Amino acid sequence: MDLDKAKQTFIIEAQELLGAMEEALLTVEGQADQAEAVNAMFRAVHTIKGSAGLFGLDGIVHFSHTVESVMDRVRSHQLSLSSALVSLVLECHDHLSQMIADLQGGDPEPPASREVGQGLVNRLLPFLEGKGVEAGSAAPVVSRQTSKVPESEQGSWHISARFGADVLRNGMDPLSFIRFLGTLGTIIHMAPFVDGLPGGEAFDPETCYYGFELDLETDADRQTIEDVFEFVREDSRIRIIPPHSKVEEYIQLIRDLPEEERLLGETLVAGGSITAKDLEECLQRQKQESYEGGSVQGRLLGTILIEDQAVPPPVVAAALDKQKKFQERQAHELKVVKVQADKLDKLVDLVGELVIAGATAKVLAGQTRDDRMMESTAIINNLVEAIRDTALGLRMVQIGETFNRFRRIVRDVSKELGKSIDLEIHGAETELDKSIVEKLSDPLMHIVRNSIDHGIEPLEIRKARGKPDAGTLSLNASHESGSILIEVSDDGGGLNRSKILAKAMERGLISAGSAPSDQEVCNLIFEPGFSTADSVSNLSGRGVGMDVVRRNIDELRGNIEIETEEGLGTNIRIRLPLTLAIIDGFRVGVNHASYVVPLDMVIECLDLGPFLESEENHLINLRGEVLPFLRLREVFRINEEPPQRERVVVVQYGETRAGLVVDKLLGEFQAVIKPLGGLFRQIRGIGGSTILGSGEVALILDVPQLVQLATEQKHAPLKRLPALPVIG
Amino acid sequence: MFNIQEAKRNGQTVLKLAGELTIYSASEAKTGLAKYSDKKSPQELDLSGIEEIDTAGVQVLLWAKREAAGRKRPITLVNHSAAVIDALDLLKVTSLFGDPILIVPSGK
Amino acid sequence: MAKTIMIIDDSASLRQVVAITLHEAGYEVQEAIDGRDAIAKLQGQKVHLMICDVNMPNMDGITFLKTVRTLPNYKFTPIIMLTTEAGEEKKKEGQAAGARAWVVKPFKPDQLLVAVSKLVLP
Repeated sequence: MDLDKAKQTFIIEAQELLGAMEEALLTVEGQADQAEAVNAMFRAVHTIKGSAGLFGLDGIVHFSHTVESVMDRVRSHQLSLSSALVSLVLECHDHLSQMIADLQGGDPEPPASREVGQGLVNRLLPFLEGKGVEAGSAAPVVSRQTSKVPESEQGSWHISARFGADVLRNGMDPLSFIRFLGTLGTIIHMAPFVDGLPGGEAFDPETCYYGFELDLETDADRQTIEDVFEFVREDSRIRIIPPHSKVEEYIQLIRDLPEEERLLGETLVAGGSITAKDLEECLQRQKQESYEGGSVQGRLLGTILIEDQAVPPPVVAAALDKQKKFQERQAHELKVVKVQADKLDKLVDLVGELVIAGATAKVLAGQTRDDRMMESTAIINNLVEAIRDTALGLRMVQIGETFNRFRRIVRDVSKELGKSIDLEIHGAETELDKSIVEKLSDPLMHIVRNSIDHGIEPLEIRKARGKPDAGTLSLNASHESGSILIEVSDDGGGLNRSKILAKAMERGLISAGSAPSDQEVCNLIFEPGFSTADSVSNLSGRGVGMDVVRRNIDELRGNIEIETEEGLGTNIRIRLPLTLAIIDGFRVGVNHASYVVPLDMVIECLDLGPFLESEENHLINLRGEVLPFLRLREVFRINEEPPQRERVVVVQYGETRAGLVVDKLLGEFQAVIKPLGGLFRQIRGIGGSTILGSGEVALILDVPQLVQLATEQKHAPLKRLPALPVIG
Repeated sequence: MFNIQEAKRNGQTVLKLAGELTIYSASEAKTGLAKYSDKKSPQELDLSGIEEIDTAGVQVLLWAKREAAGRKRPITLVNHSAAVIDALDLLKVTSLFGDPILIVPSGK
Repeated sequence: MAKTIMIIDDSASLRQVVAITLHEAGYEVQEAIDGRDAIAKLQGQKVHLMICDVNMPNMDGITFLKTVRTLPNYKFTPIIMLTTEAGEEKKKEGQAAGARAWVVKPFKPDQLLVAVSKLVLP
């Protein structure tokens, strides 16, 4: 059986469930109605356990079983969800996540993991007290003994069945059981029993009146045979007599020696085949049944040895009908189709091809001067644009999931530091490109940790400042004119201007006596190696500073700014483009080709002539500022004559500026970024490609690389880049 | 779907039972057969059209058979379909009906 | 004609394994993610057996059982309920609603196949 695919499904499913579980765990405290969250936790472990069992993942089954049992007690209000329990279940959640990760890594249940699991199970057990130790004791995967029956039990089994009246109504058909018995062995003798079927109107066609006595020759064991009737035995009278039982002899013995009855009963009970009560019943029944029918009487004696299947009578079950009605859970159901990310990328890619093809068709249609043709290509092109936008939209995901991860961090970190912090999340439904979300996680994490660690003050200070005991950290996301704004704010101590200045001077970042503006001071913390915390805790201060955060944000073509008020709090704002797949570009021409510069890196555009400082050293003089420049036609080895009037695009990356000399300035446009094939990835200076409306390909310039190149060659002869392979 | 159709053969009433004679249609079958409990009482139940039958269905047939016998107007079950033969055989009730069953070779 | 079985469970991986197992044994398999989905998918079509989880969002197993028993085409269809040993309360409630066939989670594919075979052979 090929279960590999199903196993992948299981892994993904488990990860999702664990995500939901974690969220529930982190939000459950303080909720007035915990039922939904508790249910979510229960269902996560319940489902994982159920599916893991199918794959024979006994370690996961075993562990999740214990967690499930505890959650079930919480669910049924036998156990309250204390903070300590939440923490413990969180640990269990982590362990389960690890187990799933191990499974995914192809090394299910390494020994170390088993130890961790056992440790957690031991800590869970106290929560199960009073319920019996059964819950945590063993892997509950039912393993039927399939051992061969002892020699003495081989032969023919006698089965006596009188089916309950409601058996048919419950969907059980004696026919099916007989068919199934046929798969276990050979039915060597069988007598039906339908004497109870009434005549006339009394006959209820949906009631079962059927029963049988049969002998089955099989080498299946007792359990297997009994299990055939497991779904009906509560309502029916089923007796199973092993081969070679000397039933008649037993009965004869009991009859002859009534004073031994008890002893005999005990013997039989010890043997696991009969209860004392049954023995008494036996004798009653035996009398009764001897009247029931001629042909089977000989067999009837055989029905007397009873394996006690007595269960609470159906009456008890019926009484429970009044049980509370179920609340239909109103879990908000988002209809979601899961798609692999690379399929989406492929789609976006194909849409790019479609844009090219569409543009080509448009040009060709224009040449035909056929109005209808032109009209229909125009319609197609509109549709293509709509498809492009939709396709890019598919990669948009809500930021909520990323935000929710911080619940855990905030909880853990604040506990560790002994601070009490409330996390507020707003705008969780704000969407942005999946690839951005992924890259945003780390910098955001750093900012959040900084806020908790350095921002929010210790309790004493908060008290002294007259602030509420619990600090507030809030994560907000919103759309702001074509970009996404993400804010992390806290009501902590804010940035300490004098401390930052002192540090900056110490590090030589600013000169003594300078008086930078507040904003400039704030920006200092983005300098490499800058940290003002008096003590380096193990949270932040891991050598990764805000400089890395800014670099990450830069890479996403976003920007970051800080607003702070000493003693009142800090607000960090990150602005990001909606998607990495489309940029606002500035198009320039060199010879016959087009290049695109990301617009946000363009400072200004000039004629080269008036600003040329030194042709030899490739320098321009921009109102007193001397900048290096690069000729793109040299970078890309275009050997044709430059036009008379060359232009310069001044670009900036970080603090460095440089000029790029081109032939023509072609204006702004929105560029759909297409990744470069492996062949082009080695080429410096090119970051990607895009398709122009005309269907032509334009290369997107890698400005950081070009700026670096320009700086390096400032005083040296131009280093030649490897030749650009001919495209197309 | 279950249905009962009345036909005449050599002046005798024949009821043709067809479709699924199961717990779902057992009540309908009982009601349908009860209509013929008077003078119109059929002599034969033609079972050739029964595609599916379960214990409930067999019980209805047995009930009809016994009712008819009680009225001294016995009916014979004829043309048992494969499904009927299979069920009667599994439940070991063939002899309770006592009707001859024509075993058709199961070649297609 | 192959017998049709509907598996109703919110776990996609469980449905997948059950479907593979039953399919290999010669059954037709239909899947539904919860009670509501199952009701929507049944639409009067012939189903010989249903396997239904007790714990599901959007109409749990017991509610589904009660609901499906009111539909003329499924009044008597055998239904195997999937439960946990922790679910005694649910089991009682299910029994009151007429559920008799229970398979305890977690189970191995073969165990389910045996349970199914007792009620409906392919």
